[in-house]
Amino acid sequence: MLWLNLLLNGIVWGCALGMVAVSFSLIFATTRFFHVAHAAVYGLGGYITWSALKHGLPEWAALVVGVAVCAAVGAAIQKLLYERLDRSGATHLVILIASLGLSAVMQNGVAAIYTSNILQFGLPWGNRTTTIGGALLTNTQLLTVVFGLASYAGAMWFAHRTVLGKRMRAVASNPFLAEITRLQPRQVHVAVMAIGSAMVCIPGVLVPLDLGLQPFGGVPILLTATIAVIAGGVGSITGAFLLAVVIAVLQNLSLLIMPGEWSIGITFGIFVIFMLFRPRGLFSS
Amino acid sequence: MRQLRRLAFFAAALGALASLPAAADTIKLGAVLPLTGPAAVVGTQEQRGIQYAVDEVNAKGGIAGHKIEVIFEDNQAKPDQSVLLFNKLVDLQKIPAIFTGYSGPSLAMAPLATRKKTLLVNGGAQADALDKASPYLINTIPVLAGELEVLATYLFADAGKKTAAILFENNAAGIAGRDDFLGSFEKAGGKIVAQEPVPFGDTNYRPALLKLAAAAPEVLFVVITSGTPQLADQIRQIDAKFMVAGNTFFSDPELIANPNAEGFIHTQVLINAPEGMAAAFKAKYGTEFDFFPKQYYNAATVVMSCIEKLLKDGKPITGENLRAALFEIKTFKGLTTTVFNTNTAATQINMNRITAKADTTIKVIPPK
Repeated sequence: MLWLNLLLNGIVWGCALGMVAVSFSLIFATTRFFHVAHAAVYGLGGYITWSALKHGLPEWAALVVGVAVCAAVGAAIQKLLYERLDRSGATHLVILIASLGLSAVMQNGVAAIYTSNILQFGLPWGNRTTTIGGALLTNTQLLTVVFGLASYAGAMWFAHRTVLGKRMRAVASNPFLAEITRLQPRQVHVAVMAIGSAMVCIPGVLVPLDLGLQPFGGVPILLTATIAVIAGGVGSITGAFLLAVVIAVLQNLSLLIMPGEWSIGITFGIFVIFMLFRPRGLFSS
Repeated sequence: MRQLRRLAFFAAALGALASLPAAADTIKLGAVLPLTGPAAVVGTQEQRGIQYAVDEVNAKGGIAGHKIEVIFEDNQAKPDQSVLLFNKLVDLQKIPAIFTGYSGPSLAMAPLATRKKTLLVNGGAQADALDKASPYLINTIPVLAGELEVLATYLFADAGKKTAAILFENNAAGIAGRDDFLGSFEKAGGKIVAQEPVPFGDTNYRPALLKLAAAAPEVLFVVITSGTPQLADQIRQIDAKFMVAGNTFFSDPELIANPNAEGFIHTQVLINAPEGMAAAFKAKYGTEFDFFPKQYYNAATVVMSCIEKLLKDGKPITGENLRAALFEIKTFKGLTTTVFNTNTAATQINMNRITAKADTTIKVIPPK
C-alpha cells in the first residue's frame, strides 16, 4: 500500500501547491509582474491567522482575519509599489528586483516579530486521522484537498462568470486595448492582487497547520508553484492547478523507484524536457 | 644589516604591543552565525548563549578590567558567505577568535583559520570532518561519531534492535550522522534496511517516513537539526510500529513536551545550567535556555577563560596564544566539564528516554 499512501500524499500536497499556483497565475497573467513577494504574503497569512487564534478567535474567524489582511497587503503592494514603479517607467526586471526586496523585508520582519522558531498551531483536531482505502490522512490533509478543489472551482467561476473576472481576462489578453476601452487596467490589477493574495492565505494557513509555521517557508513552495504555472501555460487556471498536482504526485511516487536525493531533480528534469517540446505550456492556446 | 635587524625587532615589538590590550580596552571577539534564513532558529539561540555569557562577565567588570564585545555577523548558514565574513572580521577588525556554528560554514572557514592563525570556536556543529579540519578549529562539543557509537551500541546490545532505518538531513551534519550510525550499527551486528534524506528546513517528512516504514525496521534513527516536533506528529499519524531514536538534536523542549514523542530515545551530550540561570535567560530573551544557548554559553566561557589566562600571563590576545592557553588549561569547569585532549572536547554522554513529557536519563556514559 506504499504506492497508495504516496499517491494520496502527493494529491494533498498538490492541492496546497495548486492553490499557490492558481493565485500566482491570476496575478502574473493579469499584471505580468513576477510577484515574488507572493511567497511572503503566503507566510504572512499563516502568522496573522496564528496570532488571531492566540488572541482567542475561533478557527474560522482567525482564517477570515488572515484572508482579509492578506487581501489588503496584496492591494497595497500593487498600489504603493508596483503601480508607482510601472508609472515611472520601470522595466519588469526592476519590478522583479523590487518584489524580491519586499519579500526579504516582509519575511525578515515576520522572523523578527515571531522569531525564526517553527511555530505550531496546536489544534488537536488537525492531527486526527481518517483511514481511506488503507491509507491514513489527517483532518488537515483532508481540509487541504477540499479547500484546494474549492479554490480551483472558485477561481474558474470568478474568471469566467463574473464581470471583474472578464475584465481581468480582457486586461490579461490585451492591456492596451483594455486601456482605451475604459476597462481601467490599473484598478483591475489592484483587485486581482487582492484576490490572489487572499487566496494564497488559505494554503498559507493549511500547510503550516500540518507542518509548522516558518518565516521563510513560502519560498520553496512558490518556486514549485511557478514551475506549475509556466508548464501549465501562463494564464491557464486549469493548467496551473493540474500541473501542481502532477508535480507533487510525481515527486511522491518517484520514491518508489529512487532515493529522495534524486526525486526533485528528476521530477524537474522531466519538466525541462517537456518544456523543450511544449515551450508555451500544456494548456496554452 | 644591523639597522634592518633593529627595525625588524621594533616592528615585532610594536606588533606584540598592538595586540596586547591597553588597560581599559574592550576585547573584541567575532561570531559568524545564521541569524536570518531557515537556520536562524538555531543561530539566534547560539547568539543569545554567547551574549548571555559575555553580559555576565561584563556585569562583573569584565576580565581584568577589559570589557568583552562580540561582533555578530549573519552567514545564513551559507559557507561562501561565511568565508567573506571571516575575512572581514580578521582583516578589518583584527579579531583573534570567532564563534561558528553549522558544519558546512565551519568547514569552509577552517582553512582560513589555519592560514590566519585565528581561533575558530564551534559549539554546536557535529560533523566528523570538523575534528581534524584545522588546528585552529576548536569544537567544544563532541563530534557525531562518538555520540552515535554510544547510540548504536545501546540500540543493538541493550534494546535488542537488529534492523534499523535512517532518516537524515541532507547536509554535512546529516550525512555525517548517517554514515556514523550506519558504520557503528553494522559493526555492532545490526542491519540497515533503508535510508532516506530530507532537505534542510523542510518539515514535510511524510513521503520519506512512508517509504522507511514500508521497509519494516525495528528502529528508526533520525538525524535532523530542526522540525522534530513535526516529525513526531507525522510518525504517529502514519501509525508507525518502530522505535524512534536520535541524538542530542532531540533535546528540543517542544519535542519533549509533545505527547507524540512518547518513548523516543536519544543520546544527550551532558550540559546543565545552575538553578535560576535558565529562568534568568528566559526573562531576558523570552526563549528557553535550551541546548544550543547552553553550548554557546559554555563555548564563550572557554574562550574567556583563555583570555583571562593570557592577560594574567601578560601575553597578547592572538589566535595562536588563545589556542596555546586552551591546551594549557585543558579542563574547563563551565556548564559541563569540558576536557581538551584534542581539538574536540570530551564530555559525558547520556542515553535519555522521553516519557510523560520529560527527558529521563536511562544510562550514563562517562567521557573517554
